[in-house]
Amino acid sequence: MLRASLIISACLAWPALGFAQDAATTDELYGLAEARPVAAQNQDRCIAQMAEFPTDDPTARYQFFQLVSDTAYGATDQTRALFDHYGQPAVEPGTPVLSVIEDIANPVLRQAAPEIIVSSMNYLIDFAATCDVYITGQTDSLIAFDPELKNPEFNTVIAEDALFLRQILSESLSRLGADGDAVWANPARQYSRSLVAQRDAVEFAAFETDIAELETLFMDDLDGRLARSNDVINSEMDREVLGDAIQVSDDMTKAAMERARQERLYRFLRIFGGGR
Amino acid sequence: MIKQILVASSVFALSVAVTGCASTAKGVRSSVVTQSVPQEALRSDLPDGGVLAVIRYPAIVESDAKDVYHRAYAKRAIGGQSGKGVTNTIETVAVADAAVVKSNYFALSLYKELAAKLPEHAVLLSPHAIKLGPGGELTSEPMTAAEDLPSVVSIDFATYSFPDSKKMMGGVPLTFGDLVTPLVTVRTDHRASVPTQGLLMASRPLLSRAAAEGRETALETIDALQRGDFDPVVPELDFVSYITNDTPQDVSVQSLATRSDKNAAMVLPVEKVRIPASEMRLLEGASDGTVDPLDDVYTDALSRRIVALINGLDADKAIMMGRAASISDFDPSLAALTFVGSDEDDYAARVAYAERLLDAQRKYLSVQSLRIFDGVHNGELGAQVRDMISAEHDVLEKRRKLARQQNAATIMGIASVAGGIAMGGSAGGTDCRRSRTQAEYNACVRRQQMSGMASSGMVSAGMFAIQEAMAKKRLSQQVGTNFLNSIVPALEQQTTVTVDLLDSNETITAIRYEDLQAKLQDLYSQRQRALDTVATQCAYLEPGGQKRGTWLGVCENGLANGSGAGVLEVGDEVMEYYGYAKNGLADGPGLMIRHAKIGSISYEGSFINGRPDGTVRVSQSGREDKTRNFVSGVDSGASSQEAASPFDGLTGGAGK
Repeated sequence: MLRASLIISACLAWPALGFAQDAATTDELYGLAEARPVAAQNQDRCIAQMAEFPTDDPTARYQFFQLVSDTAYGATDQTRALFDHYGQPAVEPGTPVLSVIEDIANPVLRQAAPEIIVSSMNYLIDFAATCDVYITGQTDSLIAFDPELKNPEFNTVIAEDALFLRQILSESLSRLGADGDAVWANPARQYSRSLVAQRDAVEFAAFETDIAELETLFMDDLDGRLARSNDVINSEMDREVLGDAIQVSDDMTKAAMERARQERLYRFLRIFGGGR
Repeated sequence: MIKQILVASSVFALSVAVTGCASTAKGVRSSVVTQSVPQEALRSDLPDGGVLAVIRYPAIVESDAKDVYHRAYAKRAIGGQSGKGVTNTIETVAVADAAVVKSNYFALSLYKELAAKLPEHAVLLSPHAIKLGPGGELTSEPMTAAEDLPSVVSIDFATYSFPDSKKMMGGVPLTFGDLVTPLVTVRTDHRASVPTQGLLMASRPLLSRAAAEGRETALETIDALQRGDFDPVVPELDFVSYITNDTPQDVSVQSLATRSDKNAAMVLPVEKVRIPASEMRLLEGASDGTVDPLDDVYTDALSRRIVALINGLDADKAIMMGRAASISDFDPSLAALTFVGSDEDDYAARVAYAERLLDAQRKYLSVQSLRIFDGVHNGELGAQVRDMISAEHDVLEKRRKLARQQNAATIMGIASVAGGIAMGGSAGGTDCRRSRTQAEYNACVRRQQMSGMASSGMVSAGMFAIQEAMAKKRLSQQVGTNFLNSIVPALEQQTTVTVDLLDSNETITAIRYEDLQAKLQDLYSQRQRALDTVATQCAYLEPGGQKRGTWLGVCENGLANGSGAGVLEVGDEVMEYYGYAKNGLADGPGLMIRHAKIGSISYEGSFINGRPDGTVRVSQSGREDKTRNFVSGVDSGASSQEAASPFDGLTGGAGK
């Protein structure tokens, strides 16, 4: 069943996370601005395909929806045609998405039947495109229920898992000879290159998280230290010195004024008294 | 009659010469800085890896530099000649020390105003310690790492008082009580304003030294590039450069009111700005730093002007060398590629990490600046300075009153003496012997006796008034001297507190900053993958010549080949180049700067085989920028096309 180690590792990592920053959206994470998949047309089909998703744990449920969304993100008509061509036979309609993901993560299938991997991924991407409205509705509801699900580190882990699945797809296409096919080489290479950019984006998001943590730690520490240092210096400062200096200056000025007044009187008498 | 007028005017001249017509040290109520102020908001974002402004100011004088500082301050007076024997009097020392204390305080007003108009973490404070250099010369050095980060502009701010306190009430510059005389320099990196070598605005006395400092800094950074490093050069404060009488340098200038695109530095006059009485009353009742007496009359307008200057600059050019220097500390193979950038994915990924690292450092130093502001402006030190300004204001008002009394006495003295002489002269001029009867003769003699008594009385009153005026002048000077003499211990304490505040900031920050840098470096190293194209050092060539310079950037077969920066000395000229090169020669879009003895000229546009070739924008001192067409380095006339720039299009990529 649901034993993909990459997914479990993400689940284990979750309780340790404690940052309250907004999660990067998939668009932000990958730095892409392509159109989102079209809204679902078949309600019954989407509900049926989502039926086996975990229901008891909001975290695991969010993780699956987000994983599907991230895995299918940015698929173009050209890449869909590529997957249609190499992913034969196609996965039977109505197959639960969960078992499709298990197939993709199965190492034996990856080696022995890369076309099944491609068809499984194609099915997953088709599900994400068809049922986008429902998937987005589910993730939004889950975030409303538990805002901690927006945690960037947690979402980065999911994005890394999605990237891992996409990497499997890229390798399977390569094994099927898409690279050397004159018709399909270009979209295959484009897909491969997009993985590098996506990997960079995911790694940078992780770096961003690490550096933000370091930044917060150091800036809070510095701010506290400087504030304490300022307080100590302020408390030790002797304001009386200035007050005393001003008082001394005033006293000296008053004395000088008095002397001047007396001199004025003397001068008055001297000048008007004819110098006697 | 003429004789009487001459006598009266001689008395007037004598009286004025003896007592003087006293100035009441009014100052200007409206600085030129506050007239026709540009009201524009910042038009650009905070540049990646840098800040928008750093404010540099004299904060302390190290103890072993004090004597040299006091002597230099007294000797290199602004606004007049200081009298003999003022070099090391207690009053001159007090004035020189107070200049540092006040600079510390008022620089923070500019910080507050500028920070309010720019994005968060965009302004840093850089307090300087005035100290002795290796050769015993006076210099200044930053006390924090604020100037390690590149900044679009740097502002030198100081307040000034004429060193001879006896002339305090005259027309000389003064920062005392409600009067503030700011000295300001605004500069950018010379690459962003080549014709003025980075100087954008300066107070008139500092102008030529600031221009010289700009040129020296430019040449020093080029020297560093020739050695293969990006060591940033932090110039000493222009105020220190002025009082040490460093070699001046000419620069094209224009007044603040001039609206032109001419490449010239703006000149600020030296002004004694007067704080309004209403602000002084608020200051006297203030218990914290919420009252800023200088913002409305000066720093708000100055900061708006600085924002307008920033808007007029190419921020990327202004910080490109500083950013490369910062990046080279932890990624030398990336540093020289950042001058013009690249459109390669691996470069983009790596530079994003580097910029995030610099961003963390910027935030850290910004917190430090905020705490310095808090400690000085809102702390006890700020309270003491405000107390001191209030006390100075009382002293100044006393002296103003005495000056007015002195002037009144002077006028009375002149009028009385002149009137007495005139009256006496007029009476004495009547010849009683011409009387026709004895009665007439007796009446004439009586009139003469009465007139003589009156004139004698008026002369005596005049003499008294003149002596009174002289006494008022002496008393006024005594009031000022008393204050300056008694304030010395308080000044010393304020200096000590400043040292404690800044030193603790520096100590704490330095340790933690190094620690932060080390941790950031670790984080960076762990995350990096290889770059396809790396920057190294190789040869950069003179077109058609034998001269070999240094190229930092992409190299192939020992020659410049790709993006980077090159420096070269040819005869008396030093040349620097940023952009693309091929086979050791400038080739592709580039910025070439020639530093000749007569000044610096920049050429930005297309280059082929080391020479400008195609449309090129030429910038030189005292003229507007021109777009010209070049053929193999020869100007062939005006061009209507836009010149290419190596900085705005990532043309060709670093590896091409």
